[in-house]
Amino acid sequence: MMTLSALAFILIVISAMIILIFRDWLINAVALAVQYLAAFILISLSWPIGMAVIKLIVGWMATAAIALTLFRQQPSRGTSELEASLFFRGFAGLMIVFVIFVTAPALQRNIFPQLELVIIQGGLTLLAMSLMQLGTHSEPYLTVFSLLSFLSGFEVIHAGLEISTLLTGLLAVSNLGLALIGVYFVVKTGETDESTQDEGVE
Amino acid sequence: MTLSTPLVWVIFPMIIAVVTGIFYYRKVLIVLLTSLTAFALAALATFFPEDMALSIGPLTLVFDESLNILGRQISVIYDMLPFIALIYTVTGLWNLSSGIAGVPDIFRPTSLGMTALLTAALGVQPFLYAALLFETAILVSIPTLSPPGQKTSSGILRYVTLQTLAMPLILLAGWLLTGVETLPADSPLVGQTIFLLGLGIAIWLAVFPFHSWVPMLSQQTSPLVMSFLLVIMPMAVLVFALNFIDRFSFLRELDSLYSSLRLMGVIMIVVNGAWTAVQNDLKRALGYAALAETGFSLLAMGMYDQGGLSWMMLLFPVRALVFWLWGYALNKIEEHSNSLELHDVQGFARLYPAISAGLLMAQFSIAGLPLLAAFPIKIALFTAAFELGTGLGIMSFIGNLGLLLFTLRLLSCFVTPRDVTMPLWWSFSEKAHEYIPILIMILVLIIMGLFPNTFFANIINTLTAFRQLQ
Repeated sequence: MMTLSALAFILIVISAMIILIFRDWLINAVALAVQYLAAFILISLSWPIGMAVIKLIVGWMATAAIALTLFRQQPSRGTSELEASLFFRGFAGLMIVFVIFVTAPALQRNIFPQLELVIIQGGLTLLAMSLMQLGTHSEPYLTVFSLLSFLSGFEVIHAGLEISTLLTGLLAVSNLGLALIGVYFVVKTGETDESTQDEGVE
Repeated sequence: MTLSTPLVWVIFPMIIAVVTGIFYYRKVLIVLLTSLTAFALAALATFFPEDMALSIGPLTLVFDESLNILGRQISVIYDMLPFIALIYTVTGLWNLSSGIAGVPDIFRPTSLGMTALLTAALGVQPFLYAALLFETAILVSIPTLSPPGQKTSSGILRYVTLQTLAMPLILLAGWLLTGVETLPADSPLVGQTIFLLGLGIAIWLAVFPFHSWVPMLSQQTSPLVMSFLLVIMPMAVLVFALNFIDRFSFLRELDSLYSSLRLMGVIMIVVNGAWTAVQNDLKRALGYAALAETGFSLLAMGMYDQGGLSWMMLLFPVRALVFWLWGYALNKIEEHSNSLELHDVQGFARLYPAISAGLLMAQFSIAGLPLLAAFPIKIALFTAAFELGTGLGIMSFIGNLGLLLFTLRLLSCFVTPRDVTMPLWWSFSEKAHEYIPILIMILVLIIMGLFPNTFFANIINTLTAFRQLQ
C-alpha cells in the first residue's frame, strides 16, 4: 500500500506539472485523467473502495466531457510559446513541490494528525499547483481544469477527515457542474470565434 | 395529510425551475410562471401559520419542518420564513420585470433555481454542507451572467474561480470548528480556523481584495441580472454567516471578531465608495455601490452589541428594492442610449426624465438621503459607529459620500444638454410600461422612508432562528 500511495503522489506531481507547463488541451486532459486516478488511490486509503471510486468516475466523466467538447471545437492543438515561459512555469512548479515537502510534516503534526503524510502531500500539491495554474493562464477550459484539480486536492484531504454520502453526492454535483460550465465556455468560445471569422469574411 | 416545508420552498421551485428551463424561450409564459411561483411562495411564507397546519376546505395539511435526504436533513423552520419570503419576493420582482430587452431568457429559470438552492443552503444540516449548495447556485448563475453568443470574459472566469475557491475553505473551517470548540481561546488552531472561515466568507462576499470580479462582471452583464446577483448572494451569505456566530460560543464571545468585521466593513465602504465616486461607467458604479452596501452589512454585523444585527436585516429589503430600481433603470438606459459611459448619457434626462429619475432616486436612496428608504437605517448605523469610535464614524460617512458624489455627477450629466444641436426643452419619451414600474418603486421607497417600522419589522423576526443571538 505504501508503494501504491507513493506512486500516486508521484503521478500527482507529474500530472500537475504537465497541466501547469503545457497548453495543449489533449496532453492536459490526459494529465487530468491520470490525476484523478492518483487522487482515487489516495482517497481509497481513507474511504472504502466503493465510495472512493465515485470520485474517480466523476473525475473521468468531467474530464471526458470537456475533452470531447474541445475535440469538436478545437481539432488543432498547436500552441507556440517561448521556451522561457515553459521553463518559468516548470521552475515555479518545482518550487511549490519543494515548499510542500517542507511544510507538510508540520501541518500533519499541528492540524491533521489523523492523516497520513502522503495524503497531505498529495492534497496540498494539487491545491497549490492548481492555484499556480490559475495564476498563469486565462483560457476558459484551463481555468476549469485548474478548478477541478483544486477540488480534487481538497477532496483528497477532506476524505481523510470525514465520510458522508450526502457530501460525496454534493461534491460530485459540484464537480460535474463545473465540468458542464467548462463545456459551456468551450462551446461559447468556439461560437464567438466563428462569428468573428464570419464578420471578417464579410 | 403531512407535507414538509422543504418540499414547498426547495423542491417545488426547483421543479418549476427545471421545467421552465426546458421551455425558457417561451418568454411571456415563463415570466408569468416564474414570477407567480416566486410571489406565491413569498406570500405563503409571509402568512404561514405558526402551528404549521394549513386548512383548505375539508383538507388539512400539516407541515413537517425537515426533509431527510441521504441521511442528512434539510429544514425550513418557521423562524426563517420572513427571510425566505424576502428572497422569493426579490426573485418574483426580478422575474416580473425580466421581459425587458437585454435580459437573457435563461435568467428566469436560473434565478428561481438559485433561490431554491439558497433556501436549501440555509436549512441543510449539518449547516456546513451549505457551502456546496452555494457553489451549485453559483454554477447555475453562470449561463445568465455570460449568455450564449457573448465572449467568455475575464470577469466571469474570476467570478467562478473565486467563488469556487471559497467552498473548500468553508468546509475545512467547518470541520476544524467542531474540534476547536473545546480548546482554550489562545490556541493557535483557533486563530487558524477563524482565518480559514473568514477567508471563505470574505471571498464569497467579494470583500476587498477579492472584489475585482464585481465591477468587471457588472460591466459585461445585463444590469438587471447583475443587480439580482448582487442582492441575493450577499444576503444569503450574511445570514449563513450568522450560523457560525450562533452555534460556536467561542466565536460569539470573541471581541476581535466584531472589531475585525467593523474594520472590514469600513474598508469596504471607504474603498468602494471612493471607486464609485470616480467611475465613468454606470454599470461598474452599480458593482462598486453594491460592494459598499455589503460593507454596511458587515459594519452592522460588527456592531452586534449595539443591536447591529437588526440593522443588518433591515438593510436587506431596502437593498433589494433599491438595486432592483437601479438595475431596471440602467437596463432601460442601455436600451435607449447604447452606451452607459457617463459622457454618452449627457442630456439623457431631457429625453427620458422618468428613467433618469428612477436611477437617481435609487442612488440617493442607497446614499441614505432623508425621506428615502435607507435613511432611517443608515442614520442609526452612523450614530452607532460614531459612538463606537469617531474614526469609524467618519470613515464610513466619507465612504458613503462617495456614492452621493457619483450621484451628483450623474445628475449634472443627465440634465446638461449633450451639444448645441440638442433641443433646450424637455420631452417625455418613455412609454407607460417603462415609467410606471419606476414611478411605483420611487413611491415605495419614499413610503418606506416615511414609515420604516410598518414595512421592515417582520424581517427582524428572522433573527429568532438564531437562538443565541437574541
